[in-house]
Amino acid sequence: MFRTCDITGFKVDLQSQKLIRYNAVFAVISLLLAVTAALLLVFTRYQPMHLLNAEWYYRLVTFHGLNALIFWIIFFEVAGLYFGSTVILNTRFCAPKWGWVAFLLMVAGLVMSNIIILMGKADVMLTSYTPLKGHPLYYLGIILFAVGALLAVVLFFGNLMIARREKTYGDSLPLVAYGLMTAAIIAVITLASGAIIYIPTFLWSLGLIENVDPAMYKLIWWGLGHSSQQINVAAMVSIWYMVSFLAVGGTSINEKVSRSAFVLYILFICLASAHHLLTDPGVSSAWKVWNTSYAMYLAVLASMIHAFAVPSSFESAQRRWGYNKGLFQWLSKAPWGNPAFSAIILAVIGFGFIGGTTGVIFGMEQTNIIVHNTIAIPGHFKGTVVIGTTLTFMGITYYLIPLIFRRKIVGFKWAQWQPWLFFIGIALLSISMIVLGQLGVPRRHWDSTFSGGPFTYNFNPAVDFFWVLMMIGGVIAFIATLIWILIVVFSVSFGAKVNGPNDMQLTISPLAPEAKKHKGFEAPGTLVLTFIFLLVFLALFFLNWKWLAATWNVN
Amino acid sequence: MSLLSPVEGWYYKKVSKDEKMWMVIALILCLMMFVWMIMWHVYGKQNPSSLTYKTSTAEFSKLSEAYIKNNMVGVDKGIPVVRPKPNSDVFVLAEMWRWSPVLILQKDQSYKLHISSRDVLHGFSIQPVNMNFQVYPQYDYVLTFKPTETGEYKVICNEFCGIGHHTMIGKIVVIDKEEDLKLYGYENMKKAPDPVVKKTNEPLTEQEMVLLGEQAYTLKGCAACHKIDGTKELAPAWNGLFGKSEEVRENGKIISVKVDEDYIKESIKQPQQKITVGFEKSPMPVFPVTDEDIDHIIAYIKSLSK
Repeated sequence: MFRTCDITGFKVDLQSQKLIRYNAVFAVISLLLAVTAALLLVFTRYQPMHLLNAEWYYRLVTFHGLNALIFWIIFFEVAGLYFGSTVILNTRFCAPKWGWVAFLLMVAGLVMSNIIILMGKADVMLTSYTPLKGHPLYYLGIILFAVGALLAVVLFFGNLMIARREKTYGDSLPLVAYGLMTAAIIAVITLASGAIIYIPTFLWSLGLIENVDPAMYKLIWWGLGHSSQQINVAAMVSIWYMVSFLAVGGTSINEKVSRSAFVLYILFICLASAHHLLTDPGVSSAWKVWNTSYAMYLAVLASMIHAFAVPSSFESAQRRWGYNKGLFQWLSKAPWGNPAFSAIILAVIGFGFIGGTTGVIFGMEQTNIIVHNTIAIPGHFKGTVVIGTTLTFMGITYYLIPLIFRRKIVGFKWAQWQPWLFFIGIALLSISMIVLGQLGVPRRHWDSTFSGGPFTYNFNPAVDFFWVLMMIGGVIAFIATLIWILIVVFSVSFGAKVNGPNDMQLTISPLAPEAKKHKGFEAPGTLVLTFIFLLVFLALFFLNWKWLAATWNVN
Repeated sequence: MSLLSPVEGWYYKKVSKDEKMWMVIALILCLMMFVWMIMWHVYGKQNPSSLTYKTSTAEFSKLSEAYIKNNMVGVDKGIPVVRPKPNSDVFVLAEMWRWSPVLILQKDQSYKLHISSRDVLHGFSIQPVNMNFQVYPQYDYVLTFKPTETGEYKVICNEFCGIGHHTMIGKIVVIDKEEDLKLYGYENMKKAPDPVVKKTNEPLTEQEMVLLGEQAYTLKGCAACHKIDGTKELAPAWNGLFGKSEEVRENGKIISVKVDEDYIKESIKQPQQKITVGFEKSPMPVFPVTDEDIDHIIAYIKSLSK
């Protein structure tokens, strides 16, 4: 059963549409759970408030991590994969019944793990490093969720096969579907790592296995934990290209380059487990250097290629629309009133300048010494998975509401402000966490006054300022998330029906006109921006190494 | 056109000049960073070690206990203090929830620290110099440190290790001259509690039993949770404990018991049997102690109630 979209002209399989909707709804529920916990955590770490007791603090850190990093992201990605493999390709869903099986498995996993955590049976953190032991049902919940997610990925490939066989698209996959396929391939590698480690751990928690080696556990667990973040990167970059198309009618200025960059992700990004073992015993320096650098930084190269290709796709299209004056008219005349567009631009900036720079620098073998397990690490991934992935997902939702849910956005004015508010909140939160970490403040730590310990320690007095900043950032980000959730819930339940292309609040741009032949640069503005990025990166790079050189000697 | 199939000839389209330029710069940056890490091993002075020994928690606990017994020069807040010789092997034990021993190091001298855990993962984080390493059970990580500044440093735990995680804090003191010891109150460290001469065939006096008990209290790590100054965040304090009536939970029921020899013996051997009300969240693990050790510890606890 298909309907033909009167706005985009795509054929939409109604079964697929339903699956996309339900997965998206559970993504939003997970996000709500995650940010509620996050607010309580921020109020606890801010020492003058110190809201929760130690027990509930660690319980909610576990709860927040699982709901934010796993449930929210993966539910949304499953919705995205179904969208990318059916709607964009004008094809049907290969096996809707199995789609529901996958969905129910994931929901069962979510419910089971969350209940066990809240009952206090698994205060083990998201990472659950052995020999810390949680309740068997906690591990079983995650296994069920992972099996469901893996099934969803298999269905994605099934959809691709049908589309290919029935020739529903041209000779090559559209770039967005290609990027999502990259995400799906990485997801298979990642979820397999998850199965390899969670199944023995589950058996160990039941008492059927004597011992799970802690170093082996950490190595393989991060094959899931970090590599799964690369699913997000691939999915997020795909959405960036999609919004370039929807908002200004653009695409990558050279699709071969963009696609090659996606291939680099598949080949090298799964080495990222090493980022978590840089100051660990058990592995050699040669292993660390090779793996942490994704084999000579070839996956970083991929991200840097996208860092040019994504903004230049906007710039090139805008210039062809006639915004050709100077270096930056393409940017000043961009559709800033479109919340999906502003969300994506802000996500690109945040991901690059905060998440990307710190990711590469903290992930170098030696500089990791000065940040390992400090609060700078969650600061870094707030800069990738929150300001990058989450903001991107929030942005694209503003298109999904009219196109998939067929509703108008309630409170559109609020929607236009929401990405900015969220960006400011997370940027403050993330940057202050990074600074706190550089001053030695540990992550996952209930009391930085060390009450009850034999000694005490006073951090550099500068931390007081950054704790306040972090709390303010957290509160702003929480409010922005709440606004987004309310907009989504109200629009989906009470929004007016969308009546055709003229009734859209977010415009969908026609294709940008063909370029006139011209000499010189295709995207000079983007080139300038990437050079600014380069300078910031080098400044942070040398600052960190200078910092490291001032510490004790160790080898 | 990212939602549509690419236009014909996309595969052969020439890469524009600016994109090509950026890719070359990016590639150079990537290769530079890769080489940088390798060169730091040659010219840099901070490199995480590759030296690891496989061990077991029991074996490493024994090593650390023997090391401390032979080398301790005093006690600070229930934690033994050791002043190792430069270039020597030093054994640092991480456990729920303390670092043992406290170290006195000489500036600009190297020390081979063997670090391992008795239970779960811990994070070895020296502040304020901010150097951070991971500590595992079953693995002995050997890191050669050379402190470059004098001062008092704290070792905090930055890997979640249970409900008492935030109380896990140790100490390293770096001195230049002997006088510096005064800054930390370490100038007259008493050699105790290791004054007991091994006697054969002769029963120990009460006084000697107490000293051995104090030694066990320090070495076995009881001090991590059981304080002797009346504070009780994670476990009952030991001063004034002997002879007292305590509310305990046995099989879910709350009963009252008198703290005597038998109760202490049972609590050490089967810590989960009777759990003192108020401390259900920080259950005590089973420690590798002998019956003799237990007798000494009982003598020590008795002495704290006099």
